[in-house]
Amino acid sequence: MSQHRPRRIDREAVRERLDRVTDPELDRSIVDLDYVEEIEIDGERVEVSLTLPTAWCSPAFAWMMVADARDALFAHPAIAEATVRLRDHMHADEINEGVNSDEPFESAFGDADGDIEEVRRTLDGKARLARQYRAVSTLLDGGLTSEQIVGLTRGDVAIGGDLATVRIDDTLSVCVEADPIRRYLEKATETGVVDAPDDGLFRTPEGGAIPLAEFETVHRRGRLARTNMSSQGHVCERLGDARIGGPTRVTTD
Amino acid sequence: MYQYEGEDVFVIDGHVHWWDASKENIKHEGGEQFIRCFYDYHTGFTPEERQWSLEEYRKYDKERMVRDVFGDGHADMGIFQPTYLNEFYKEGFNTIDRCAELAEEHPSRFIVNGRFDPREGEAGLRELERQKEEYDVDGVKVYTAEWRGDSKGWRLDSDEAFEYLEKCVELGIRNVHPHKGPTIRPLNRDAFDVADVDDAATSFPELNFVVEHVGLPRLDDFCWIAAQEPNVYGGLAVAAPLAKSRPRKFGEIMGELLYWLGEDRILFGSDYALWEPEWLIEAVMEAEMTPEQRDEYGVELDLEVKKKIMGENAARLYDIDIERQKEILRDDGVSEQFGLADQYGEGAAADD
Repeated sequence: MSQHRPRRIDREAVRERLDRVTDPELDRSIVDLDYVEEIEIDGERVEVSLTLPTAWCSPAFAWMMVADARDALFAHPAIAEATVRLRDHMHADEINEGVNSDEPFESAFGDADGDIEEVRRTLDGKARLARQYRAVSTLLDGGLTSEQIVGLTRGDVAIGGDLATVRIDDTLSVCVEADPIRRYLEKATETGVVDAPDDGLFRTPEGGAIPLAEFETVHRRGRLARTNMSSQGHVCERLGDARIGGPTRVTTD
Repeated sequence: MYQYEGEDVFVIDGHVHWWDASKENIKHEGGEQFIRCFYDYHTGFTPEERQWSLEEYRKYDKERMVRDVFGDGHADMGIFQPTYLNEFYKEGFNTIDRCAELAEEHPSRFIVNGRFDPREGEAGLRELERQKEEYDVDGVKVYTAEWRGDSKGWRLDSDEAFEYLEKCVELGIRNVHPHKGPTIRPLNRDAFDVADVDDAATSFPELNFVVEHVGLPRLDDFCWIAAQEPNVYGGLAVAAPLAKSRPRKFGEIMGELLYWLGEDRILFGSDYALWEPEWLIEAVMEAEMTPEQRDEYGVELDLEVKKKIMGENAARLYDIDIERQKEILRDDGVSEQFGLADQYGEGAAADD
């Protein structure tokens, strides 16, 4: 199946691709977070530079973002060559060299033990839980009871435009704002926690079904995950601001 | 002593440092990056008119510290939490002996904590004995992500660490302050992961574990552990400045901490010289939860709760009788130098 490959690519398309990459700790787009410092386009070749809020950002998290950004660019049909460079980081050399030559994390960092995918699973789990908190809050605001919420399956939810329709039983459906539900489903699906139509819609932090007696605790743990992320997001933002004005600044846009 | 709404608030700053990050003391680029990272925290959160220059920040003298913490800083006492970082700094970053030098000049004001690193084996155990013997430490700060040779960190639930915790019990060192902050190295083997506190806290119920920086950026993991382990506490250093820069967010964090840990297990700390206690204490004392947050969390952040957080909880852990301590502070050199004696008078409130 041969497709015509568009010859030219523009900055907007590059940014749109990068927008799909999240800071795994904060669960927010690296474009929104202003980590993208420079985009250079030369025909089918794209080079992107990222700067994180501090030179001490976890190398594992930094690696994930650089690698995800590179993957996101490669997935664009018009991009033949993509290089992503991390600037001003404690381990920029190892990360840039490793990611851009398709080395695995473990060989770029000889002293790493354990599995970087495990780190990703942990962070994804937190992101899912934080998104679940918003989705469940939306349903509670929409009038659903905790009993109804723990009984929902993936198949009970349909999203159309700005609204999500949630089927409670054969006679009753409720419409709520779609965005929190959509964002939750994205992460829950991506992480394989909610897949088939008869899978329970919401889960415990460990991924199991939520016993009704634990609904409140699970919901509060979701709130806690969300508070943690947004608080850390604020810390990162302040560090980033300080860095841009401070002595570690190397580049300007 | 800080006055709030006409009431005395006895402040024990649970986290202060007297560090040396001067260029002469740096031996590894990590040392330079470390102090610059600290400086980013400093400039990122400190009100502009109160910011230091990087040179002042690298190394400050005793007089400045005493003035910043007690003279202008509202704190009545401060607890030194040493951080060695011997791989980065020739003479260490913030060692017990350096801190003790200052504490000896102001024994009624400072509490000196020790530190240990289980990778130091037998010699480290002897060193811990020396710290108890020489400085009578009641607590230790442990920095699990400290580099040492090829090792980029250690865990509090390891056999080696348990040997040290046993030694703490034996010596009567009751308070263990693990620093749990942002992840740096060692990479995916996350030395600032708070999970190791869980097993240590269960295994040593006679010790108190004060997790510094309330686990941020793992506040969630920390709270979940603390909810199950009654001897786990939270130190507010690094979370506290949010009271100034993002009061609503700070209210949320306090809501979580009060909900999961309760008001008896939260300790204030400025992290001086990352930040000066003066504006920080004012910001925390002014902080309020919104009515929505109070409803949502079902907790209060009122004056009684703040008094506990600011000093009473630390006093309990470090065996300080606040009323007796006020009498001592009233006549000490710091009160004399800064004219603070009246603050500690018998029930008399200060004029300002």
